[in-house]
Amino acid sequence: MRRFFARLSNLLRPARAEREMSREIEAHVALIQDDLERRGMPPVEARSAALWAYGGVEQAKELHRRERSFPAFEQTVRDFRHALRGLRRSPGFTLTAVLTLALGLGANTAIFSVMYGILLRPLPYHDAARLIVLNETTPKVGRVSVSIPNFQDWRTESRTFPEMAVVNSVGFNLTGIEQPETISGEAVSPGFLRMLGVHPILGRDFDASEEKPGAAPVALLSYPLWQSHFGGDHNIVGRTMALDGRGFTIIGVLPASFRWTEKVDMLEPTGVWAAGNEAYNERGDRGDTVVVGRLAPRVSLAQARAEMEGITARLAKAYPVTNDGFGVALRPIRDAYVSEIRPAILVLFGAVTLVLLIACANVANLFLIRASGRSREMALRVAMGATRGHLLAQMLVESFILTALGGLTGLALAIAAVRGIGGLIPQGMLAGTSITLNGPTLMFAGAVVTLATFAFGVAPALAAGRSNIQLELQEGGRTANVSARTGRWRAALVVAEFSLSLILLVGGGLMMTSLSRLLSVDAGIRTERVLTMQMTLRTAQYSKAPAILNFWDQLLGRVRALPGVQSAALGTGVPLTDDHSRTDITIEGMELPKPGGFPHPDVHIVSPAYLSTLGVRLLRGREFTGMDTEKAPPIAMINAHLARQFFDARNPVGQRFMFGHPSAKRKPQWVTIVGVVGDTKLYGLANPSRLEVYVPLHQDAAESMTLLVKSAGAPAPLTSAIRAAIVSVDKDQPVFETATMEQIVRNSVSPQRITFILLGAFSALALVLAAIGIYGVVSYSVAQRRQEIGIRMALGAQPSEVLRMVIAQGARLAAIGLIIGIVAALALTRLLASLLYSVSPSDPATFATVTVVLALTAAAASYIPARRSVRVDPMRALRCE
Amino acid sequence: MPSEDQPRAHVLQGTLDLIVLRTLATMGPQHAYGIAARIQQVSGDVLSLNQGTLYPALVRLEQQGWIRGAWARTENNRDAKYYSITRSGQKALSLETRNWRRMAGVVEKLLDEGA
Repeated sequence: MRRFFARLSNLLRPARAEREMSREIEAHVALIQDDLERRGMPPVEARSAALWAYGGVEQAKELHRRERSFPAFEQTVRDFRHALRGLRRSPGFTLTAVLTLALGLGANTAIFSVMYGILLRPLPYHDAARLIVLNETTPKVGRVSVSIPNFQDWRTESRTFPEMAVVNSVGFNLTGIEQPETISGEAVSPGFLRMLGVHPILGRDFDASEEKPGAAPVALLSYPLWQSHFGGDHNIVGRTMALDGRGFTIIGVLPASFRWTEKVDMLEPTGVWAAGNEAYNERGDRGDTVVVGRLAPRVSLAQARAEMEGITARLAKAYPVTNDGFGVALRPIRDAYVSEIRPAILVLFGAVTLVLLIACANVANLFLIRASGRSREMALRVAMGATRGHLLAQMLVESFILTALGGLTGLALAIAAVRGIGGLIPQGMLAGTSITLNGPTLMFAGAVVTLATFAFGVAPALAAGRSNIQLELQEGGRTANVSARTGRWRAALVVAEFSLSLILLVGGGLMMTSLSRLLSVDAGIRTERVLTMQMTLRTAQYSKAPAILNFWDQLLGRVRALPGVQSAALGTGVPLTDDHSRTDITIEGMELPKPGGFPHPDVHIVSPAYLSTLGVRLLRGREFTGMDTEKAPPIAMINAHLARQFFDARNPVGQRFMFGHPSAKRKPQWVTIVGVVGDTKLYGLANPSRLEVYVPLHQDAAESMTLLVKSAGAPAPLTSAIRAAIVSVDKDQPVFETATMEQIVRNSVSPQRITFILLGAFSALALVLAAIGIYGVVSYSVAQRRQEIGIRMALGAQPSEVLRMVIAQGARLAAIGLIIGIVAALALTRLLASLLYSVSPSDPATFATVTVVLALTAAAASYIPARRSVRVDPMRALRCE
Repeated sequence: MPSEDQPRAHVLQGTLDLIVLRTLATMGPQHAYGIAARIQQVSGDVLSLNQGTLYPALVRLEQQGWIRGAWARTENNRDAKYYSITRSGQKALSLETRNWRRMAGVVEKLLDEGA
């Protein structure tokens, strides 16, 4: 006892005060002793009498210490040293606790970083909450683009939006630099940046006059483009750059913080974009345009929606041919950024919170086990003058050290994890944000560490601190009462761990089933060994159809001649990409519907060999050949869906349709159907098939095509040879978005894929933690019951009975946990519904499998300590006490 | 157990400081044992002082600058720390004594009324 305190005081830095105190107390006792001796007491007796008279020396010291200086501070320092030494003495406990916490905290911080980057990071606009994105809608497709004349009417008529701007995606071939490149940007109303509250860091904003068609070509550069292509030159304003072979004057540079829902390299005013753009004045031409508006003060989104619905209804009446059936959709700008991946992130954040809870439960469990092992030490310390608060503080210090260590390790894990997860998310879904550990995410991690410290620091301290000292000391270390109480806690924690693990595993299992079903959906194509590259011909030399077709023909010829190429083709509207174009058609002889009710198929413009290269099935008739030229009569192929819906039992081959609606003014241009092909999944594997029409490239010369190459071997190594072939046709022609068809499929399911991968990882983690938890509890209780088991064995209990008894203990806890977990999971998996494909959130097979896996885990984790218990030598166990 | 003693120690605290100051003012420099012995002697058996509890009071008073401690030898040639009252200690004593008397008077009155 003396040594304990002596050691403790040796550790104290202000040892002088301590020495002084001891000296004074010693002197005091000596004086009493002197006095007693003078009255005739023998020295030895006088010494103990003096100590008796003085009272508890150590208690006095504690009182003295508390009075002497800033006791809390000094105490904390001492607690830290004490805790560190204690932790070093039990490396198994420390390592398990730190690693468990690191995994929990690391996973949490990583997912929070993703959530912050994508969902929470403030948008770099003034008062972003009042910025609204507006789209037109059709009943069949949902949100679609807005035509420019409709936008102009909206802006004139709306009172709830004093400001409105149009934002139209544009792409350019940037030439005059080393390697030709495709850049993307937006054509915007000149007031766009002012409405967002964004100011160029160099040069000027657009001028209102630049909205008029025919304005001189000017552009604002994005900060990254300015840095990468113009070396961050501060004298950039006034210089020109060649976009599609046209000189654009650079008038300024956007701030580095600027971002939009898609990648923006430059901005141009709508007046520049409108020049020579027929679509600009077509009310029925909905290109790639959204409208952004700023709500007037004190106007709610609902009021604005009501007004806009009125306006679109009037426009639909006034312009039935182009606007019948079209409505309007309004959503806060924040939603336009994240809609696709948001459910996945929220689900993952929920999951990772469960993992953290399990990790905390596990560590709390370790603490409880440790606390009951140390209850004698605690009782001793109370007896020697430590207060309850003091013990509590000490336990908090211990848990703080563990969480801090766990947090730091977790942070390292999070840095690695953030990189990995960032790589899983396609750039397109990031909308210009980046996923990193930064101030807010670190603050979050800190808050979690603090919470965790209290979560499993306080509970065990309270459980242990309530112990009865006298009982404790008398029991001679047999801590039956403490272990019984903390035993209930531990059992509760294990039950909780199992129910949480079940929820996670069910989630992971559902995602796995869903993803595998999704990936086995027949997309109508064969993805193996197909490489895709996108190209757009933009320069002036390609303004006429013959030039365009000449380029494509030459390109196909050269690519097909490359060694290793099985076939090559060109096409638009390649399945699962973002490239879609739809139009109304009229089938010969059909009953004419009202303007909004015409068949509205997706149109593919394809070269010969498209079907064989992409593996689209030909069901009837024939594919396009080199003979189907601009001089031949117009032909088309349709897909099975269209055939089914509009030709019933008739053979569509030989039937005719026309693009657009019949009009009295012009003679219909009939197109003859020559073939019927299988449906392809254009808009995602989970979406139903749609109407499709294919027309030959030579009868509709398109500037923007996807090159598809089917290779004999792995497709990726062909990339550079194909690029070289392109350059040999036109050295200024850039290529963008090179990807294999398999990558395109994978990207199309990335929200589900990310959820599956991470949820799978988290549930595996949960499983391991739960196994550790139940193992810990059972082996601890086996250790506690050694004597009892020894007696049972001595009295003739069979090892198998003892084994069963011990395993039953673990099994009971697991069973309770699993039942609670099933109930909770039934309620929670509903949140996954939007991510699931063709599997019910309460899929019985998944629930059953997961329950069995967990039950087996529990049995295995209890079996190991149970077997150990049977090996107890009864004699030794009995003698131990 | 000290933790349960604490409420009582708090009540005693102010009084103990006053008693120590008074003792030192009367007796001159004195070591802790001397102070304890004196208090016990004056109070008879009424105030049974756990001598260890004297130290916190001494530390407190020293930190407030009301007393000063210095090591010296006793007449029996023992090492001991002698405490003496300082000027500000004297002032504090008279102030605290007045306060105490007033307080005691009030308490006395209240208790009489109740009786």
